[in-house]
Amino acid sequence: MAGTLTVAQKELRDQFGSKRFLILFGLVLLLSTLAAYQGVDFIRDNTAAGFVYIFSGTQMSFSFIQTMVYFGPLLGLALGFDAINKERANGTLSILLGQPIFRDSVINGKFLAGATALATLVVGTIVIMSGVAIPLLGFGPTFTEASKIIVLMLLTIIYLVFWMCLGILYSVLTKRTSTSIMASIATWLTFSIVITILASVVSGFLAPLPGGEFRVQTEDGRFQMTPEFMEAMQKRNAIMSNIRKISPTNLYQDAASDILGVAGGFMRGMGFQQFQRTLTLGEALAANWANIAAIVVGLVICFAGSYILFLRSEIRPGE
Amino acid sequence: MSGHIIETMMLTKKYGDFTAVDQLEMTVDEGEIFGFLGPNGAGKTTTILMLMGLSVPSSGTAKVVGYDIVEESREIRKVASVLPEYSSLYGELTAYENLDYIGKLNDIPKEEREDRVEEMLEIVRMSEWADSKLESFSRGMKQRVGIAAALIKEPKVAFFDEPTLGLDPIGTKEIRELIIRLNKEQDLTAVLTSHLLPEIQMTCSRVGIINKGRMVVTETLENLSKEMTGAEDRSVEFRLSDVPQGLIGELEAISGVKSVTQENGRLYVYSGIDSDYDVSKTITDHGAVILMMRPREYTLEEIFMKYYEEG
Repeated sequence: MAGTLTVAQKELRDQFGSKRFLILFGLVLLLSTLAAYQGVDFIRDNTAAGFVYIFSGTQMSFSFIQTMVYFGPLLGLALGFDAINKERANGTLSILLGQPIFRDSVINGKFLAGATALATLVVGTIVIMSGVAIPLLGFGPTFTEASKIIVLMLLTIIYLVFWMCLGILYSVLTKRTSTSIMASIATWLTFSIVITILASVVSGFLAPLPGGEFRVQTEDGRFQMTPEFMEAMQKRNAIMSNIRKISPTNLYQDAASDILGVAGGFMRGMGFQQFQRTLTLGEALAANWANIAAIVVGLVICFAGSYILFLRSEIRPGE
Repeated sequence: MSGHIIETMMLTKKYGDFTAVDQLEMTVDEGEIFGFLGPNGAGKTTTILMLMGLSVPSSGTAKVVGYDIVEESREIRKVASVLPEYSSLYGELTAYENLDYIGKLNDIPKEEREDRVEEMLEIVRMSEWADSKLESFSRGMKQRVGIAAALIKEPKVAFFDEPTLGLDPIGTKEIRELIIRLNKEQDLTAVLTSHLLPEIQMTCSRVGIINKGRMVVTETLENLSKEMTGAEDRSVEFRLSDVPQGLIGELEAISGVKSVTQENGRLYVYSGIDSDYDVSKTITDHGAVILMMRPREYTLEEIFMKYYEEG
């Protein structure tokens, strides 16, 4: 354990001192602070909206959740992708493992340091956003809202740590950091962009829209969609939402939005039900336990995989 | 322990079909500087990785300071250090921070660690640059910090894998002297690998020559050299005032002389050391004066090449 903490301490110092982390933290802070300002505007105009809109955003704005959906994978992967293979490439691994420590202290220490760095980033961002919003609004979150924000915070940390563990797995699987960074970028693009495109292509293929007139005129002169068209659209939406569920980003987005109890963000809902759904925290967790469990399981699998592979890996000359 | 600080028994390492180390037998005595010599890819580094418990042998075993390399590798890493080839400490940390980190990993308490880091930096003459980042150092300086890092745990035995690789002559000399000094002053048993002979010649008391994963010979340098020049025939070069008629024929008749050739006014007599007396006498009997007589000794280079080729 002493070895683990020593490694963690050193790695944490590296993380906080690295330009990579500072740039990403800066980017997240910038987007989140802008989102906080937008949230404040929205809350001022809509008396029914609560403090959590700072984080969930509104139909047409960019939110904290959205930032995490799009940049979360990048943040996590960036902190993990070179954890092990950088030490191999630089030849520091054999010196490190030449000390009287257990081999797992190295990977445990790196995990601990990365998770701490990400937790700091999330907590820091949420505190700063609140710090911006509270003076502007003149009021803070209620107790219920505060507990929702804390749960959101924990969920976000777990979600980011999942991506970091995937990065660590890449760093164990590949010899070169240039390979693992490409794998990380490909993963990021796949889950934040490609999956949505894929979902629409596949659903279009599986549920083609019926040809011909898609609407009919009713007796009182209004237009209405044909039943066949409506059915195809519903089927298509169902397929799309199932494919989207492959992506942890969407699992997180659904769970996070429900926890805050609002349908936020421009990618979600598409309806006009801004204030219709307000789930309690319990309801939200009940509805999303599978999503949250999937993220946790993903995290555990990635870390366990990295752990086992690293412990069984050979130290070759030059590493 | 039978006086051996390192002892390997049929140590073997295979990477797939490739046998990097093949039934290696070697012993290193306490307090010596052992030279581990062999061409690139002979299996020197792989052997060291196994002895440090960083790589698991495919078969065979070894003991370092009395500990089994598989079962008790963590114990070994408490008393043995390695300065790996091409290795480096952390470039983004300063020399001091690097040593402090290694000290922490060895569970050295804070106050003792501070003293020891200072002391080690002093020994390798890097105190002046303690607070500079490692990435700003020259290769020689990095290597010196690497040696300091290897010594911070006050090891009984240290492996230096190609410690002077890529260093300029001054850097090479410094590292060489440092290792000899550590051996004398700190009673450090050192295993030094190199593919360069002069390196080993100047530092080591005993050498093991390894080729294709096998230990070809283990011997003191003196014996190695003697063995080569004593028993076998060698060529002796003579410069004479003149070469009288019939001399060559008569020299060839001496028992033990294999051949006599004349080239550029020099005479080359190929014979064993026992024939030297008769050869010189025959020459002077013919009225010629020997201006120079030089047996062509085997350089270590040739010894080395001989074993390389045999392997």
